[in-house]
Amino acid sequence: MATTAISTKKKTVRMNGCVASAQAAKYADVDVITAYPIRPYTATMMALAQMVANGELDAEYIVADSEHSQLSIAHGASSSGARVFTGSSGVGVQFAYELYSPISGSRMPVQMMIADRTLDPPGDFGSEHTDALSTRDMGWLMGWACDAQEAFDNHLMAYRIGEDPRVLLPQMVCQDGFFVSHITTDVELPDPGQVKEFLPPYKHPYPLDPRHPVSHGPQIMPEQGPPLQLERARAMEGSMTVIEQVHDEFAQIFGRKYDPWVEEFMTDGAEVVFFMQGGHAVTARFAIQHLRDEGVKVGLVRLRTIRPYPTDRVNKVLSKFKVVGVIETNMGLGSVSSGGSLYAEACAALYESPQHPLVISFMAGMGGEAIVLKEFYWMTKKMMEAQKRGKIEKRTHWVGFEE
Amino acid sequence: MPVIEVQRQQLPILDSPNQGARFYNPDLPSSEPFVPGHRTCAGCGPAIQYRMTSKASGDNTILVGPTGCMYVANSSYLCTPYNVPWAHTQIGSAGSFTAGVAAAYEAMIRKGKWKGTFPNIICEAGDGSASDIGLASISGALYRNHDCLIICYDNEQYANTGIQASSRTPYGGMTTFSPPGPKVPEAKTLYPKDLARMMAAGHPHCYVATASVGYPIDLMNKVRKGLNHRGAAYLMVYTPCQKGFVYETPRSIDLGRLVVECGLYPIWEWNPEKRAYDYSFRPQSMRPVSDYLKLQGRFGHLHAEHIANLQKFANEQWRMMGVELPEALSQAADVKNQVNMAAAAEAEVVAQTL
Repeated sequence: MATTAISTKKKTVRMNGCVASAQAAKYADVDVITAYPIRPYTATMMALAQMVANGELDAEYIVADSEHSQLSIAHGASSSGARVFTGSSGVGVQFAYELYSPISGSRMPVQMMIADRTLDPPGDFGSEHTDALSTRDMGWLMGWACDAQEAFDNHLMAYRIGEDPRVLLPQMVCQDGFFVSHITTDVELPDPGQVKEFLPPYKHPYPLDPRHPVSHGPQIMPEQGPPLQLERARAMEGSMTVIEQVHDEFAQIFGRKYDPWVEEFMTDGAEVVFFMQGGHAVTARFAIQHLRDEGVKVGLVRLRTIRPYPTDRVNKVLSKFKVVGVIETNMGLGSVSSGGSLYAEACAALYESPQHPLVISFMAGMGGEAIVLKEFYWMTKKMMEAQKRGKIEKRTHWVGFEE
Repeated sequence: MPVIEVQRQQLPILDSPNQGARFYNPDLPSSEPFVPGHRTCAGCGPAIQYRMTSKASGDNTILVGPTGCMYVANSSYLCTPYNVPWAHTQIGSAGSFTAGVAAAYEAMIRKGKWKGTFPNIICEAGDGSASDIGLASISGALYRNHDCLIICYDNEQYANTGIQASSRTPYGGMTTFSPPGPKVPEAKTLYPKDLARMMAAGHPHCYVATASVGYPIDLMNKVRKGLNHRGAAYLMVYTPCQKGFVYETPRSIDLGRLVVECGLYPIWEWNPEKRAYDYSFRPQSMRPVSDYLKLQGRFGHLHAEHIANLQKFANEQWRMMGVELPEALSQAADVKNQVNMAAAAEAEVVAQTL
């Protein structure tokens, strides 16, 4: 089957987040794709299946028997030297849980696309970030896109970062189910030459190659454990420099400049800010613009990369404000704030700040509900009340359940 | 983009008189992909199998080791016994990780990213992995027909975790999860899952066979047939475990023959071209199951009725293979003709071992 993987020049095409992810995998010329259906990420794999069937992409397309198998196939293929693409949503992400540590521990830069879905029970197709966030400490690079274009760009950057010999870590490239995965917007697809320049072919230093035998993952004695864990921790920490370099280079080649860690929107002169991840930020920008027109000093800080966590940057940025309202979109049952898990990390990042802004956790966007404009206004009001009072009313507000 | 045709290996089949029960064959390759220095027990059946299998496969091989004895006891950081690439994978990932390796080589060779002959890709899964937790992943790999060989080294239990019952543990087998007691005198009450037949029935396009370490050349030839077969192959190999079976260490190979001679481990091949079983393998003699049971401490608690039940099970296996049953074996299935294991003089040696 003679194929030309990429025959397009730079062009703008209307597509949803799922298709943008599939396009990114195609541009990255992945070798092995492994799929298992679960909504809403499935649309990515449907698009890739069609590309393979059309001969637009030369890759092994494997329909796995479960998400556990999906990730194991990805692990095996990446260990052999192939560039791998996989993905999942919701409970599917968790069915594969066993594999997250082995993949990052063996330093295989597997890439996984996540279109978030609320965990069971009961069955709920809506987006909630708990699925991917529950794996956040497993050694995977992780971050959320807020629209299809950013999702496309994040995939290419994640391959470049994860496959860098200084990093060699797997990546979870996340987007909200439906709000990003199924909303159609314009996406600029690059010229294949640009991708070629940006993303060199995958070359793992120690693949499973009969000509250079190596053993992957043998048993160790307890005293051999700490150095290996330290290596993995250092790789995660060391990735921060690479992440910044790659974002700079991406901007030079593709002309889109992202701050790798946080997006600041209308934070100049802001006294209260939202701190959040993902697609609801698009609504937040709109709400903030409206509130600014009315003279309210509100802004947005959107976290783009949560692993590695940009502690110093979050500290520096959030320290500028009087009140930080964390929008969770995830479940942290019984956690520090008894709300979501973002609060605790934001507070920890702020601990060494002399300014100590007030921090409130907002449980919003749960179960896949849209966070509507009036809810942003309501949350802003809560933050302003706290600022006036100099004290928070309570740590966690369930938005929509209170006056 | 140029598409490169994938070149595959064809390994010669060895001459195997005497049902391949001979140990020495001048045509055996000298390469040793599995070298000494590992930490397996003396007389370890799975390790003997590992050496034969990898010898038959040769140096252009990649081994996949899901968690099990052949991971835990073989591989030690900085001194693994594998002379060919080897990777650990999770116990439930036997088929899936192996599929990933096979798919990677298909794509990389085709796309010109790796140059060479398609390697022999072998997965060495224990029976816990193969019959229980990794069953779906193996079925997936066979169903999708990746060019690989999946071996179940069947020691009829989870051994490295300290001898627990698996779906392959025989009726009457004592393990730490199936101990005998006044309420359950026979220990394991269930009969083993007919794993290899399940694989043949469900994936008829695959080469499927059973083998035993008691017949080394036969085993190596089946490894090669499986590897030569274009697509997925499955091999289930009887590999006794001294620790779990409780027998005198030098008798591993003896047990590998006795289990076949007693009809408890039918040796056959599934021919994917003809879509038919080949039952032509015949052991040199047929024996009552007690000849096999009495050598093992794990059966030391069996009563006459349990031995008769096992004989019935063995007789069914013989019938399934189309073997005419000698009168003595029919009679051995009658409880009146059996004695409790504790009363059998021949079992005394083993009783003392316990």
